[in-house]
Amino acid sequence: MDKLSALLLLSLALFALGLLGVIVRRNLLVMLMCMELMLNGVNLSLVTFAQQTGTAAGAVLVFLIFVVAAAEIAIAIPIVLLLVRQKRTLDAAAFSDLKG
Amino acid sequence: MMESLLENLDTLLIYVFALSALVGAALMLVLRHPMQVAMALISTMVFLGGIYGLLGVHFIAAFQVLIYVSAVMVFMVYVIMLLDVRDPSFTRRFSGFLVPGIVAGVLLAGTLVYALAHGLFAVATVTVSFGLQQFSAAFLNEYWLQFELTSVLLVAAVVAAIAVIKGPRRRGG
Amino acid sequence: MTSLLTLIVVLPLAGFLVNGTLGNRLGNRFVTVVGCGLPIASFLLAIRCTIDLLAGGSEPLLETAYTWATIGERTFEVAFYFDRLAAVMTLIVTGVGSLIHVYSTGYMKEDKSYARFFAYLNLFLFFMLLLVLGRSLFVLFVGWEGVGLASYLLIGFWFDDPEKARAGKKAFVTNRIGDAGFLLGLFLCYWGLGTLDMDHINAAFASPTPPAVSASLIGILLFIGATGKSAQIPLHVWLPDAMAGPTPVSALIHAATMVTAGVYLVARLSGLYAVAPEASQVIVVIGAATAFFAATIALAQNDIKKVLAYSTVSQLGFMFVALGVGAYGVGIFHVYTHAFFKACLFLGAGSVIHALGGEQDIRKMGGLAKKIPITFVTFLVATAAIAGIPPLAGFWSKDEILWFAFGSSRGGSPLLWAVMAATALMTAFYMFRLLWLTFFGAPRMDKEVEHHVHESPRSMTFVLIALAVFSAIGGYFDVPHFLSALPALPEPRAAAEGLEMPLLWISIAIALAGLGGAALFFGRNAARAIRVAPRLAPLRSLLAGKYFIDELYDRLLARPLFFISDRLFLRFGDRVLLDGTLDGLARLAQRTAGALGRVQTGNVHLYALFVAGGIVVALLWSFGHG
Repeated sequence: MDKLSALLLLSLALFALGLLGVIVRRNLLVMLMCMELMLNGVNLSLVTFAQQTGTAAGAVLVFLIFVVAAAEIAIAIPIVLLLVRQKRTLDAAAFSDLKG
Repeated sequence: MMESLLENLDTLLIYVFALSALVGAALMLVLRHPMQVAMALISTMVFLGGIYGLLGVHFIAAFQVLIYVSAVMVFMVYVIMLLDVRDPSFTRRFSGFLVPGIVAGVLLAGTLVYALAHGLFAVATVTVSFGLQQFSAAFLNEYWLQFELTSVLLVAAVVAAIAVIKGPRRRGG
Repeated sequence: MTSLLTLIVVLPLAGFLVNGTLGNRLGNRFVTVVGCGLPIASFLLAIRCTIDLLAGGSEPLLETAYTWATIGERTFEVAFYFDRLAAVMTLIVTGVGSLIHVYSTGYMKEDKSYARFFAYLNLFLFFMLLLVLGRSLFVLFVGWEGVGLASYLLIGFWFDDPEKARAGKKAFVTNRIGDAGFLLGLFLCYWGLGTLDMDHINAAFASPTPPAVSASLIGILLFIGATGKSAQIPLHVWLPDAMAGPTPVSALIHAATMVTAGVYLVARLSGLYAVAPEASQVIVVIGAATAFFAATIALAQNDIKKVLAYSTVSQLGFMFVALGVGAYGVGIFHVYTHAFFKACLFLGAGSVIHALGGEQDIRKMGGLAKKIPITFVTFLVATAAIAGIPPLAGFWSKDEILWFAFGSSRGGSPLLWAVMAATALMTAFYMFRLLWLTFFGAPRMDKEVEHHVHESPRSMTFVLIALAVFSAIGGYFDVPHFLSALPALPEPRAAAEGLEMPLLWISIAIALAGLGGAALFFGRNAARAIRVAPRLAPLRSLLAGKYFIDELYDRLLARPLFFISDRLFLRFGDRVLLDGTLDGLARLAQRTAGALGRVQTGNVHLYALFVAGGIVVALLWSFGHG
C-alpha cells in the first residue's frame, strides 16, 4: 500500500486509540492526554488530504486545530485542578454527582 | 542510485515513524504512571512531526513541535508533577467499561478500515507540497475571518483561565 | 294609524327600559308615573284600535313591524294582527294590567325594589302583548317564552329567600317542558304548511283541500305547550308554588293574563282544532280532569292564596273543556270574566294580607268583615261571581260552558256535564268556605295583629271596586257572539234539544247549594266543620298534600335524573374517564421520563462509550446511504 493510505490508516488508528483511552482509563489527566491523541489523529488525516488538493484549506484547518487545542488545554487543566481540589482525587469514577 | 535510495528512504522513514507513533499511542493506554503516559504521548507527537516534515509541510511540522510538544505537553507534565498520583486511579487503571470499550473501539476501527479498503475515501497518489508562503497568503486573504476568530478565541481563553483560577477566591475574600 | 299596534306593544317595553335603568336613581314617583302611565296609554291605544276595527267592518288590522330574516324565498317577519279576538285579549291585558299596576303602587310602596318591580311588570306586559298581537306562531312563541321569563323574575322577586327563588325556577322549568311540545308542533306546522302566520294556518285547514300534515298531531303538540303555560295536568305543579311572588304578580300573571295564553293559543288556531277531533278530545279530557282534581285539592287548603291558585287551575280546566267541545268563543268569554273576578279575588287577598301584616293562613283570620269593609264587599262580589250566582259575570260564562259540555254536537255528553257540574259545586263550596273563614266569625288572630288591622290605601281599594263592578256587570257583554268570526258555536246534539233552560236552573241551584253548604259548615265559627273533621282526616290529608304529585315527580323523574347525573356522568364519566385519562397520560410521561433518566449515571466513561457507539452507527448509516 502506498504511503498515503498507510498514513490514513495511522490516523484512524490514533483516533480509535484515543477514544478507547477516554473510555477505559480512569485518571483524569490521562483521559485529557488521550483527547489530545484524538486531535493529533485528525490533524494527520487533514494533512494527508490537504496534500492531494492544491488549495490551502487543509493547512489552515490544521493550524486552527492547533490553536483550539492549545486554548482547550489551557482551560481544561485549571478545571481539572478545581475538580481535584473538590474531591481530592484524580479518579473519574468519583465524579458522578450529575446523575439522574 | 542515491536518488532512488533517498526516495525509498523517505518512504521507509515514513513507515518507521508511523509504526513508532502507533506504538507510542498503544503504550499510552497501558502504562500506569501518568508521567510515563505523558512521555509516550510526547514521543508520538514528535514522530508525527517527523512525518509532517517528510511529507514536505515543514511549517506544520514546526507548529506541531512548537505548540503541541513544547506548550501543551510541557504544561501537562508540570501539572502531573504537581498532583499526587498515589490515588485510586493509580492502582486501578481501567474503568468498569474495559470490555465494552474494547469492543466499541474495535468496531470503530473496523468500520473505518472497511471504508478505507472499499475506496470510500478518495485517496490519490499525487502529493503536492506547498510552502509557508502559499499558506500565509491564503490565511490572510481567503481565511482572514478565521484568523481574526482565532485571536478572539485566544483572548477568551486567557480571560476564562483567569476567571477559573481567580473567581472563587474573589467571591470568598 | 298604521303603527298603532306596534306602539301598543312597544310602550311597555320602553317602560321596562326606563324604569330598569333609571328607576332607582329617579325615585318612586317617577317610577310610578312611567310604570303606570305607559300601560294606561297602551290601553287607550287599544280602545282606539278596537274602534277602528269595528268601524272598518271587522276587517283585521295588519301591521308589519320588522323583517326579521330572509332565507332564500322565505321571510320571517314580526307582524301584528288585530281582529276581534285580539281586541278582546288586548283590552283585557292592558285594562286589567293597568289596574293591577295602579294597585301595586299601594301594595309595594314600602318595598326597596320598587323600581325593579315595575320594570318587570312592564316587561311582562310587553311580552304578553307580543303574544296576543303576534301574527305568526313565531312572534307568539317569542312572547310565550318572554312571559315565562317575566314570570320567573316576578315569582322569585324576593330572591333572598331560597324558597321563593326555587318557586320561580320551578315555574320556568315546568314551562320549558311544555315548550318542547310547542316547538315540535311549530316545526311540524312549518314543515307541512310552509307558513307560520296563524290566519293562513286557519285558512289552510278550513279550505276544501287541507294540507297533508296531521292537524291532530299539531294540535296535540301545541296543546302540550298550553298545558305547561296554563297549568293543566300534568304540568300544573308550578302554579301553586308560584304564589311565593308578590300578590299583584299572582293577580296579573297567574289569574288574568299569562295562564290564559294557552287558552288564547287554542282559540286563535280554532281553524286547526275544528278539524282535529282527536286533539279536541285530548283537550276535553285533560281540561275536565284538571278542573275536577284542582277543585278537590282547593277544598283542603289553608293558605288564602293557595286556595285561589287551585281555583285558577280549576277554572282554566273549565276554559279548556269549552274549547275542546268546539265552543271557542265561550272559552274566551270565560277568560274575560275570569280575569275580572280572579284578579279581584287575588287583589282582595292581597288587601287582607296587607291588613294583617303578612298573615296568609285562613285559620288565623276571621271577623274582618266589619274591620275592612271595602275589601270585604269586593271580595264577596267576586266570590259570588266565581261561584256562578246570577246575575254576576261568572254565572253567564260558566253556565254557557256547562250547556256546551252537555249539549255540544262535537263532544258534549251528560258524563262531561256531570263532572263539570260537580266541579262547579265544589267551586262554590270552597270559595264560600274561604269567604266565611276569612271574614266571618270571631277573630282568631294574635291580639297584636288584630289591633293593627286597617283598610288598604285608596290606590288599592279603588282598583278592587273597579274590578268588582266589572265582575258584576261584565257578563252582559255578549262575547261569544262578538267573536263570531271564530268558527260558529256548535249546534246542540239531537238528544240535548230543548234542555237549555232546565240546565240553567240546575246551574243556579248548584251555585246556591255551594253557598248554603259553606254557610252550614263554616258559619258560626266553623262549628260543624270542626265536628266533622276527624272523620274525614285521611281524605283531608290526601287533598292537602295535593295528591302528592310533587313527591311522585321527585321520585320518578328528579331523583333518577340526579342519580344518572351524579353517578354516571360526574363520578364515572368525568372523574374516572376524563380526569383518569389525563392523569394517566401525565403519569405515563412521568414514568417514562423516570425510566429514561436512568441512562444518566453521571459516569463520564459511559458517556464516552455512547459517543463511540454513536459514531459507529452514524458511519454505518452513512455508508448505506451514500
